[in-house]
Amino acid sequence: MSLIAPSRGGKGSQKSGARRAENNRIYAHPLPLVFLPPTFDSAYSPARLLSLVGLSAARVENPHCEGVFDPATRSVWVTNERDSTILWRRGFFGKGDLSRSEPSWLARQINARKAAGKYMTSEEIREKRRAERRQFKLDRAAAIARAAAEAEAAFAEGREAAPVAIPSGATWKPPSSGDSALPAMPPPEDEDSESEGEIEEEQPLENVEHLQLTLQEAWFLLWNLDCLTVLDPHTNKPMTLSQIWHTFLTAHPIPPLLRADAEQRFDNPFLVHYAAYHHYRALGWVVKGGIKFCVDYLLYKRGPVFHHAEFAVVVIPVYEDPEDQASSPFTLSNADTFSWTWLSTVNRVNSQVQKTLILTYVTIPARSRVSPDLLSSPACLAHFSVREVVLRRFIPARMRD
Amino acid sequence: MDDNLELPTSALNPAAAKEREEEEEQSSGDEDQGPDWTKIPGLNVARPVIPKRGEKDFEPIAQGGSGLQRHVLDRSRSAMIEALRASRTISYKAVSHATWYPQLSRAHVTVARGIHFSTMGHSAARPSPDAENVKKVQKRLELLPEEALYLVERGAMYCWKPTDVPLPKTELLDDMEGVPMTVQQAFAEMIGTEDLTLEKYQVYAYLKRLGYVVTRAKPPSPDYPVPSPLTTQSGSTTSILSRLYSAVSSLMARLARIFSSGMDWWHPVRCSRWLHRNLSNSSLFKSLRFLPSGHNVPLHIKSRDPEAPPSPYRIFYHLYKPSTPFKKTAPPPPDFSVVVVNARTSPMPTISELTELFGELPELPPPAPRKRVSFAQQKLNAASAAATPAPAPQSPPPETSLARRAIAWLWLPWWTAKKSEPPARPPNPFPSLKMGNKIVVIAAVDAGTISFFRFGQGVFTEWPMA
Repeated sequence: MSLIAPSRGGKGSQKSGARRAENNRIYAHPLPLVFLPPTFDSAYSPARLLSLVGLSAARVENPHCEGVFDPATRSVWVTNERDSTILWRRGFFGKGDLSRSEPSWLARQINARKAAGKYMTSEEIREKRRAERRQFKLDRAAAIARAAAEAEAAFAEGREAAPVAIPSGATWKPPSSGDSALPAMPPPEDEDSESEGEIEEEQPLENVEHLQLTLQEAWFLLWNLDCLTVLDPHTNKPMTLSQIWHTFLTAHPIPPLLRADAEQRFDNPFLVHYAAYHHYRALGWVVKGGIKFCVDYLLYKRGPVFHHAEFAVVVIPVYEDPEDQASSPFTLSNADTFSWTWLSTVNRVNSQVQKTLILTYVTIPARSRVSPDLLSSPACLAHFSVREVVLRRFIPARMRD
Repeated sequence: MDDNLELPTSALNPAAAKEREEEEEQSSGDEDQGPDWTKIPGLNVARPVIPKRGEKDFEPIAQGGSGLQRHVLDRSRSAMIEALRASRTISYKAVSHATWYPQLSRAHVTVARGIHFSTMGHSAARPSPDAENVKKVQKRLELLPEEALYLVERGAMYCWKPTDVPLPKTELLDDMEGVPMTVQQAFAEMIGTEDLTLEKYQVYAYLKRLGYVVTRAKPPSPDYPVPSPLTTQSGSTTSILSRLYSAVSSLMARLARIFSSGMDWWHPVRCSRWLHRNLSNSSLFKSLRFLPSGHNVPLHIKSRDPEAPPSPYRIFYHLYKPSTPFKKTAPPPPDFSVVVVNARTSPMPTISELTELFGELPELPPPAPRKRVSFAQQKLNAASAAATPAPAPQSPPPETSLARRAIAWLWLPWWTAKKSEPPARPPNPFPSLKMGNKIVVIAAVDAGTISFFRFGQGVFTEWPMA
């Protein structure tokens, strides 16, 4: 895929091994809850006795994180740096609002000021790669144009065209940094930081970034693991589980007249997406948003720092009763069957990046079958069902043996 | 964002072309290009050759066409015309003959020549008047419309149509009855008979040209041989195990339901308060799996309107790879089942339609693990294989390994006490997850362009990551 081969030396592989070990250490815990081995204070401690009976008295360390519900962005903001680090490192929950995924804004700023490119964050590496790629394409286009002009001239004169070297991904080398031949295109984030940096060099940097949890992530953490407290944005007081449930159910924008109806509907977008999110999280996948690839979720084995996402999930809501869909105040995306064009589009995008497309069908219980009263508590989630269909192109020419 | 920088390439670039080729190997977009007519011999060869695809020579440039471009274009055009002008011929000795009976929707093969009939056509008992005008039931070789049309289009068969009009006798063809059909006439008459649509014919012809054996999934007449029904396949020891497993799992599900009815839905997972056996991440993940999932959960979707048109999602063809041993009279279970739909009129299948399709299909064993062999080892193997006959493959078939695993599971305490084998590495879940346990191939035909998709019944619930 990549046209620019990363310059890897023997040193690089060593480094990556060390980095893997480091990642294994940092991201050792798949969930924010950590099980600590029991500590035996004395020979007759109850924990010791239990372990003799075969029960483990492992202590559970609950980080008790805290976040504020933000109605405008339909997310939960974790502003405390300790909490956001824990939630990111133990299960890759949330996303830094000024970063691609891991909240690394502060680290980037510090790098930009001090190390001056010695260490690069993933965002900076990406910018550098993009600039190089752009330069490569410019060089290649120029060479191709030269070759075309030469061929044209040769044709007009009736002679053999002289060969013109056209750079390919294998032969093209980025100009060494001393030349500064790269078009100066600093990433926009750097621009203001540099100008600011010159003025207020002395002031210590304040981390203005927060971790942003989707409603699904927040509900998963607080409902199943009880490790997140959500504060009311107005009163700044902790919300109860039932308050959070109702807040999340009504978070999606619908006309105010229909707001009461939203809590009486099984096709609430929060519920449909939560069912899919919970399904994959409970199976041990790290589930992240997949808008970049036209899909709802990406599934990572262990996490984004370890592997590329293997699967791309499209959530397809299925109404058990089509009448529920007709009378619904929500318009769920993908509830109507895909056209073949759209399916091909999504599948092409994902096979290009080596991901397998998964159609995840979430059935929405019919209101005639399940009483809408159940929606007052999470018990209604037991009536949704999740099943998946794996989609791949079938290429007969390649399947012959 | 990089698009505006991609200038049109105006000359053939060997390095880039090679790269593109490699990319295509990955992205499999190589079926969509037109033929390079300059590579086709044309008139000077008696038999036209099926063209190979070529590279695009240039793209339009902003200044308009140039002398070189016009020259290349003209050369390609004239090559195409030359190639198409060649008359397609077949040896008189190699051509088969058949008579098309519109009222039967079958072509009766009167002269069968060539290798096609080892995988095409079926014998049908038809009453035919013999010399004394006594009706006798006789077996004869008949072709379905797609088979007859394919052979006609290919130039391998001459098709005739019975007529009442008295015909003048001609030499060579005096033993044929009726009038010869043109290819156009064959298309016009055969498409639309016996459920054959143009889309289905296109899929049939495409797969046949690739060497597959294609048969109907639903026999159009009782004479048509089809593979024996699925029930006979799962009559081995595994079925007992699987039945046992399903019984246990349904019991567990019932228990879970009882448990869930008494479950505190505000606190579904209570590991922080309870003392668990082996409290760990994997037990925590296990206790998180309390929401219904998987294809065994009943679908409560309201059934279709009985007055609505029937679903186009029916398995129409069975597909056999060229390497699969195929016996026409007793076809083996198919390698793939193919559904053909018109992409313009049929949207993607719904989950109900897919569930119905999966219901008709056999469950596949998990894909065999691919052995990782280093390049040096591969080379060594190839060298030794060239020197000596290849030894039998080492990997046992999946059934035995499953049975062995089941035994190991049943006698685990005793087994491990007796001898401590190093634990086998758990199988890689990814091939299973990417394939699913049931597969249906859907061919969506959009005005002649066929897109094949493989829909697999997902097994994520069976292969947890933690």
